[in-house]
Formats: sequence, C-alpha cells, structure tokens
Amino acid sequence: MIPVAKGTRLLAWLFTAPFLLVVLFFEVIPLLAVATNSLFSADLLSLANYSEILTSAFYLGSFKVSYLISAATALVGLVAALPICVVLRRMPGRIQQLITICANIGANFTGFPLAFAFVILLGISGSFTLLFARLGILDGFNIYGTTGLVIVYSYFQILFAILLLLPGLGAITPDIEEAAFLMGASRWSFWRRIGLPILAPSLISAYLLLFANAMGTYATAWALVGGSANVVTIRIGELTAGDVFSDPNLADALAILLVVSLIVPILADQFLIKPRQNTDA
Amino acid sequence: MRERNRLDWAFICLVAAFQLLPILAVALNAFATDWAGTVLPEGYTLDHVRSITSDPRFLQSIYNSLLVSVGSLILTPLIVVPAVLIAHCYFPILDRWMAILVILPFAVPGIVLALGLLRIYSGNYGIVLTGTPWVLIFGYMPVAAPLYYVPIKNNLRTLRLTELFEAGRLLGASDFAIFTKIVVPCIKQGLIIGLVMNFTLAVSDFVYANLLVGGHFPTLQIFMGVLNGGSGRKLSVLITTYFVVIFASTAIVVWAASRRDDK
Repeated sequence: MIPVAKGTRLLAWLFTAPFLLVVLFFEVIPLLAVATNSLFSADLLSLANYSEILTSAFYLGSFKVSYLISAATALVGLVAALPICVVLRRMPGRIQQLITICANIGANFTGFPLAFAFVILLGISGSFTLLFARLGILDGFNIYGTTGLVIVYSYFQILFAILLLLPGLGAITPDIEEAAFLMGASRWSFWRRIGLPILAPSLISAYLLLFANAMGTYATAWALVGGSANVVTIRIGELTAGDVFSDPNLADALAILLVVSLIVPILADQFLIKPRQNTDA
Repeated sequence: MRERNRLDWAFICLVAAFQLLPILAVALNAFATDWAGTVLPEGYTLDHVRSITSDPRFLQSIYNSLLVSVGSLILTPLIVVPAVLIAHCYFPILDRWMAILVILPFAVPGIVLALGLLRIYSGNYGIVLTGTPWVLIFGYMPVAAPLYYVPIKNNLRTLRLTELFEAGRLLGASDFAIFTKIVVPCIKQGLIIGLVMNFTLAVSDFVYANLLVGGHFPTLQIFMGVLNGGSGRKLSVLITTYFVVIFASTAIVVWAASRRDDK
C-alpha cells in the first residue's frame, strides 16, 4: 500500500465512485430485487415459490438435468484441456498468447452461432451425421436433446478450461520435471505423484467455474433445443418471458436456488482452500 | 527432442482444427448452392449474401451491435480501470472486495443478473432503461469488470509501485501524473486483453439482449434468433459476418499489442 495525502485520498475515492455505483445499481440491487421478489407469492410474503419448486418433479428434474450436463461437460473440459495446456506450455510465448485469444473467442462462441454450426455438422442431415451413417456408426443420432447439449457445451467448455488452466500450469516448472526424471520417474508417475497433486487446487477451482458456466448457459440451450430442454435456465427464461407459463416470482425463486447452488462451492473454494495455498506460495 | 516438438505441433494443429471445424461449416453453408443429403456442398454461390445484405434488418442489427460494443468499450474501461488501479495502490480493503466482485459473474449466471435488471429497470421503480442500449452498456459492465481486473492485476503485481511512487513524488510529480505517465503505460498489455474480451462479450451476448431489449433494439444475436426459424442460409451468412467482425477486430488489437511486445 502506498501512503496517501488527505486531498489525494478524497480524489481517489471520487475516481472509484462511478465503479462502485455501477456495481451497486447494476449488480447488487438487481440481485437483491430477485431475492426479494422470490419471497412473494400472490403479493404475499411467503415461501410458497420455494416449496412449489422443491416439491415439483418437473422443476427438480430440470435441476437434475442441468447438474448432469454441467458435471459431465466440466469434466470433459478439464480432461481435454489439461494435455492441451501441458503441450502449449512448451510452445513459444507468442503461440500461447494466440491460442489464449482464440480460446477466448471460442469460449464466447455460444448461443445461436454455436448451436447452428453443430446442427450443420451433426443435425438430421448434417455432414457428419451423413458421414457416420454411411460408415454404419451412430445410426439415428439426434442432436436436439440432452446428448446434443452435452456435445455442444463441451465445445466451449474445453476452450474455457484452457483459459482457466493455462496460467496455473506455470507452477510446474521445468526444473521440477527435470528433478523427477533425474530420479528415475517415468512420465506417468511424474504426473500421478507430482504434477497432478501440485495442480489439484487449480483443477478444483477450474472445475467449479466450468460447472457454474454450464449451469448458467441459457442461449445455447435455447438455440439448440428451445423450450423443450428441461434445464434450469430455460425454465427461468420461460417463466419470465413466456406467454403461457409466465410467473416472475417463481422465476426469481428458481434463479435464487440456482445461484445458491453455485455460489456456495465457489465461495468455499475461494475463501477456504485458496488462502491456505497462498500462504506457502 | 525434435520428434517431440513435431508431435506437439501436430497436436496443437489438431486442437485448432477442432475449434475451427464448426466455424468452417457455417462459412461453407453461407456460400453453398445446395447442401442437403451430401457431406460437402454441391456448389457455391453469392446469392445468400446478396439476399441478406438487401435486408434492412441486417445492417440495422450490425449497427445496433456495434453501437452497444463501442459504447461498452468506451465507458467500461473509463469506469473500471481507475477503480482497479486506485484500489490496488491506495485501498487494500477495497481491493479485497474487488476480488469478490470478480468471482460474482462466474457464480451468478447471466440470466439471473438479466432477470434482476428486468425487475429494476422496466418501470417498476419509475426508471425505464429496458429497450434502450443503455441497459446493455451498463448491464455488461459488472460482467466485464473481471475481464479488465484479472490481466491488469497481473501486470500490476510485476511493478514495484511503492518505490515508483516514492521516486515520482521525490521528483515533484503529482500522483495523477504518476498514474497516467507511468502506471497506465505499464499495464497496457492487460488493458488490451481486457478490451478484446469486453468486445467479444458485448457482440456475443444473447441473454441480456433477449430479455432486456428484444425487438426494440435488435442486435446481431437477436436477429440470429429471428432467422433461426427460417432459411438456414441467411443465418449462415449472418453468423459468418459475426465471425469476420470478431476475428478482424481481435487481429487488429493483437497486431497492435505485439508490435510493442517484441520479446
């Protein structure tokens, strides 16, 4: 920290004020509004919205589908991204930078563009569907369902995982690797006994963020499957903007349940696991 | 070692091909005469490009998207970057709070934030921002803040700021001059990464646009949604345009950045 004179201090607060106001008005207050609204049902303060969700097989089912898709695609992302990052680390800095930027574009490649691209490749008359059908594998494949969502989500999850993992891999320096190999470790035993344990904390954080990323995905699911996709975000969107099922307060309650289920593990990781790491670094 | 090097490159190229495949498919489809029942298109044409460029909604949606992105690219760094710098240099307590705010957009999905903005700014409290670009420009700001915070913070950590400020003050420079003349040039790289990611975010968003402005202010993504029901060819042209815009703007920024960073 740099010591500041009183006048400068006042000026400094003045320069941070716009940011704090934006956070207050466009993040904190809107979230509080969602939380407050979720506690009202038919203009009365009650937990009716929550009890409706927690006893409804339909809404609980949407959480289950979302959880399964997110857990699976977060794992796919990590498993695919780890070897990619290990190889990338050996590349020149320029290439790493280039791939990082491309991965960032790819990780934002969601919604209609992504869904439509996969329909061209794997839709009913998609190139790969036809190719695979001609080869006699994967007959009767249907992308407009949960399997399709897993495949399409995996695309941006892998790229997002590269972004998350690449900086952390700096912890595995060449001298650690060399030392292990000098002592006769094989590549496999190096990763099993040294590499992965060193990376474990950043792998856990990355997994949680990937999981949250998939849980919160709305545009891609909407673009690919539409209202029939039983994932939480689609249910929220439908209750908010739908013509038939509109119930804003119920949507808010679903949203709060979604946030709580994501924020608890992420905060636990950030404030219980991370600080312990930083003390010995 | 050479052998391994070649394998590395082959592997990375394979990954790149995997990433490019869906994008290539859309681009091919944009120029295909007929592509049904075959693995590759039968012929190529510019008809779809012509038909969509004559659609007024096409230019309107591009204009709207650029308006929001440029607005976001001007206002967001102006508001976020000073706060990041000041918190890092002067106010450690604020800095700790900023670290929490940074995780928030990860933990709170876009649709939930959009829902909150809809509750507050659709007239329930006397303020109507929905349907205007402003709700998008300001709505993206908390989400874009971490995109600046993380890379800039990485740059700041490598600076010995206490010494820098002592030396600067000794020479009679004001803190403002130290920030603008020394600190900001040092964080340029982080700032550029932030700008690229902020732009991608603003052009790619569908969730906020769909819930908050919808048909009142159709952006590229909203228009894609409109076309999704109809001709796939037009949609392909639109998506290809979106990619050209993103790649071109990213390439310009990366080129500008790498010129200064020739190490």
